[in-house]
Amino acid sequence: MSSTGPVPRTDLPVLRRRGERPRRRGPDTLFGRFAAPAITTMTLVVAVPSLFTVFLSFTDWRGLGSPMSAAGLRNYAALWYSDTFRTAMLNTFVLVLGGGVAIFAIVFLMLIGLRQMRGAAFARSVVFVPMIVSPIAIGVALGFLLNPNGAVNDLLGSIGLEEFQRAWLAPDMVFQMIVLGLIWSMSGYYLAIVATGVDQIPPYLYEEAQLAGATRWQQFWMITLPLSWEAASVAVVLWLISGMKTFEIVIAFVGTQGAPPLQARTAAVQQFLATTGGRDGTPQLGAAAAIGIAIFVFTAVFVVLARRLLRRDAVEVA
Amino acid sequence: MTMSSTLTRERTSSPPSPAPVRSRRRSARIVVEDLVIPNTVRVLLWLWVAFNLAMAIWVGVQSLKTDRDVLTAPFGLPSSPQWENFATAWTVSGFGGAALNSVLIVGFSGVITIALAAPAAYVIARSRRPAVRALTTYVALCVALPIQAIIVPLFVAKTLVSRFAVEIAFGWWDDRITLVIVYIGTSLAFSVFLLTAAFAGLPESLTEAAELDGASPARAFWSVVVPVAWPAIKSALVLNLLNMWNETLLVLVLLDDPAKQTLPAALLRLYGTMQYNADWGGLFAGLVILIYPMIVLYLWAGGRIMEGMTSGALK
Repeated sequence: MSSTGPVPRTDLPVLRRRGERPRRRGPDTLFGRFAAPAITTMTLVVAVPSLFTVFLSFTDWRGLGSPMSAAGLRNYAALWYSDTFRTAMLNTFVLVLGGGVAIFAIVFLMLIGLRQMRGAAFARSVVFVPMIVSPIAIGVALGFLLNPNGAVNDLLGSIGLEEFQRAWLAPDMVFQMIVLGLIWSMSGYYLAIVATGVDQIPPYLYEEAQLAGATRWQQFWMITLPLSWEAASVAVVLWLISGMKTFEIVIAFVGTQGAPPLQARTAAVQQFLATTGGRDGTPQLGAAAAIGIAIFVFTAVFVVLARRLLRRDAVEVA
Repeated sequence: MTMSSTLTRERTSSPPSPAPVRSRRRSARIVVEDLVIPNTVRVLLWLWVAFNLAMAIWVGVQSLKTDRDVLTAPFGLPSSPQWENFATAWTVSGFGGAALNSVLIVGFSGVITIALAAPAAYVIARSRRPAVRALTTYVALCVALPIQAIIVPLFVAKTLVSRFAVEIAFGWWDDRITLVIVYIGTSLAFSVFLLTAAFAGLPESLTEAAELDGASPARAFWSVVVPVAWPAIKSALVLNLLNMWNETLLVLVLLDDPAKQTLPAALLRLYGTMQYNADWGGLFAGLVILIYPMIVLYLWAGGRIMEGMTSGALK
């Protein structure tokens, strides 16, 4: 905001001290006592189960009480050849890619307007709000509005746009509505992240650009975009991670009663059905574990790819 | 292409005495790029803001209407506020029990998570033992792991834990305790991560002074570091409460009994029955019970929540 000069290096004295005093300091003696409870809990609830998931994905186990035998890669092969899973995974990719392009187009567009806007902080905090609201609530509210006899169709009818009325929640349209809902509810979060990056840009750059006659549009391309690139690429990675897990908003749109329409399933929904047994009530835990591993592997691949694609040499601000 | 070169090129490219046609074209461009585009974007941004505010208020207004008005006049005002909607949601649709479940489960999980995460984060931030590096990597890996990679074993463990507790250990168990343990375990990594950054930012002289005064390292932490870092600890707690309040997947997988489930699951169940029982006013009352507490929390600690969720990500 105000001072943008070089930040004093408060860490230097600490560094110097390090060599002088090799004796054990206070925090070192606490290591076991302080770290053990958290690390143990984390290990038991997260790390050990994740290894067990890998193990289960190579078995044909249905669940407690049924026999377990090695299945090799059969679960993965079955996923590959299953139309249901392929549709669900493809939907997830469409959601992550299509939704991501839309979200970041909105984010960057809004940055042009946010600069030097009165009430920018207020606007930022209001567009952030859907992020703190349960996706279930968002899905239920939007589902109510988009009902065939619901408010959106009423509104279209009352302003003479009957030809645009649709069965928004019909199996072939509901997924598009889910993606739209997701774009609306998540964009504010990623805008906040990238805008935090933009806040770090020293204002004199804009002042100089203005003196040089650059328009706001040019300032966006020459200053805002390159200098918020790092924050934006973090935001992209976060989106990939959260988008690949999309579950709640889908369930809210289509409900858990019975089986959600195939066209609207994401990989996480498919895994939920395989875990709990869905409509017919027979869990397929081996298959569910394989889906979990698939989600994790695809997420990791996307994150690595995104980091590669978005890597730029850091722009130096002289 | 560095920025300074673009800027200087821009400067030199404007000719010393511009031809009139060219300057008109240039000024048209300035009008578009300096006024039209930014102002159009601002209009869109304010429309977005207005839409969000309208949605938040609309849900509240709908919750006070009769079932018929909710459906037939979704954008109208209630003729007279139907507070009974909340009474029905609270008692008949089970939102009272679900709210209690939410408050207890989220409260216990959030507080215990922070109580475990803060000391761990402190030693990771401060200790210079070689194990710290490995531990940092381990925590980062646990942050990155999606819930889908552990949900199946957790589903199995839920049954085993309750069977073990009932048949061998205590003769009694409640799956809500399992959920609390799972919430703690799955939130720890992120909390440790956030708090490590907060503790690393504190001056080391703080604890050294306390230790010189004869305080043990543990006491120095609890009575000096914790009070000083309280704002950061509070925001980590608020973030956890927020995430847990809205969490649904684990509730659906780990709690079979509807009477034990939390608010999002209760809303989902009520929504599923809407085609048979048209309790639309009650549905919106349920939405309000689920959403408004978080909006109040946001109004109270909004800056902290936004900062925790954004700069926490950027660190």
